[in-house]
Amino acid sequence: MPNQNGSVYGLTILSPIINDERATPSHDLQIRNYLATVPTGEGSPFALAPGTHLARLVVMDDVIYVGSPSIEEHLHSKYLVFESNCDGDLDSYLLGLATAVPQHLDAIWSHCVGYPGAANPQAFAAYMKACQIETTFYFAAVNDKSVPETLRALQTQRAVSDFIARHQGMNAALLQAEFAQFATRLKSEPLPASGSMGPLRGLKTGGRNE
Amino acid sequence: MSNINGKVYAMNAITPMKPWKTWVVRAIFFTLGHVKSLQQDLINLSFIEFARWVVVPRQRFPYLGNGQVKEDLKYDYLLFFSNFNGTWNQYIDAFSAVLSNGLNLVWRWSEKFPGSVPVTLFKEYIARVQFDTDYYFTAYPHATANDLKSAHIVQASLDSLVQRAPNCTPEEFRSAYLNFVIQVQAHLGDTGEAPVIF
Repeated sequence: MPNQNGSVYGLTILSPIINDERATPSHDLQIRNYLATVPTGEGSPFALAPGTHLARLVVMDDVIYVGSPSIEEHLHSKYLVFESNCDGDLDSYLLGLATAVPQHLDAIWSHCVGYPGAANPQAFAAYMKACQIETTFYFAAVNDKSVPETLRALQTQRAVSDFIARHQGMNAALLQAEFAQFATRLKSEPLPASGSMGPLRGLKTGGRNE
Repeated sequence: MSNINGKVYAMNAITPMKPWKTWVVRAIFFTLGHVKSLQQDLINLSFIEFARWVVVPRQRFPYLGNGQVKEDLKYDYLLFFSNFNGTWNQYIDAFSAVLSNGLNLVWRWSEKFPGSVPVTLFKEYIARVQFDTDYYFTAYPHATANDLKSAHIVQASLDSLVQRAPNCTPEEFRSAYLNFVIQVQAHLGDTGEAPVIF
């Protein structure tokens, strides 16, 4: 199934935006205005709801004319594109969004044709599926790990790096004891927040990267 | 609007295709999806976290009634969405240098596609068919695709050592620990703020 790669799901949704000449500002602009205010870090609706690796929302104004001799044509509607790379089962994912962040979903999709609201998660999921386009080819660099597993692994990577640096040349018995404590402590640490930059480590980054 | 969040760039592109050519593209993607060895170049471009191509047939743009006017189009459209690390220029340059045959195979069916080599015309085409992202989220803004792969390698190695450690004598543990360090030493690159882009 092209929407799925391993345990990761490639969701592509095109929701037609209400085309109302009397609306001021227009519905597409209202979506853009709202999206400009939504946090993109750990306060993001996609961080608060479970299961999103990466996601984007894009107002597609029109198709693009690539020049003569191709035909110039235009869409009747603008579309809100929702592209999400999420964990596993689509129904669980959509219901999870509707349950966790209904106010954000309503603020965004209420400008789209036929949107039923997120108060009824089943109706929300059915609406999203009606707007879904099947992905033709889907590539995922890591396709067998969930979001919590990946957040945990990144936390482990950082902790292991620090542990190794601090325990060089230590005698075997002490090393074994310290390692056992380290493993227990690491296991009990809370999962880092999705969308967060992680702890600041005081290392310098930067430079030309054009 | 931002195409960038932390270390990831969101690219969106849309290109028109004559409807009969859509079937060729579908056949190519079907083959690519089922013959994993053909994906090797894409895997080797290890700065791509997720990417997808979506064919939207001209009569399949979602139509929900409620006053929406049905689309009346001559072309089918190929949508391309990519989530990659690094800059736009680095990405297009690498695509052109490493995947030129594959890209030509996919996009030559789109109207006016100039080919992925030479890169200057290719960049001009991509810039024309690209549209910007209004909102972009990543669960791991501080990490690249390689960081994610490395983190999972470190996690698996650590889990294995944790399981083994209680049954080892101190000397056996030291030996296992050194093996662990050797296994993970190339996967401990630091994550954090993205480099400043001038």
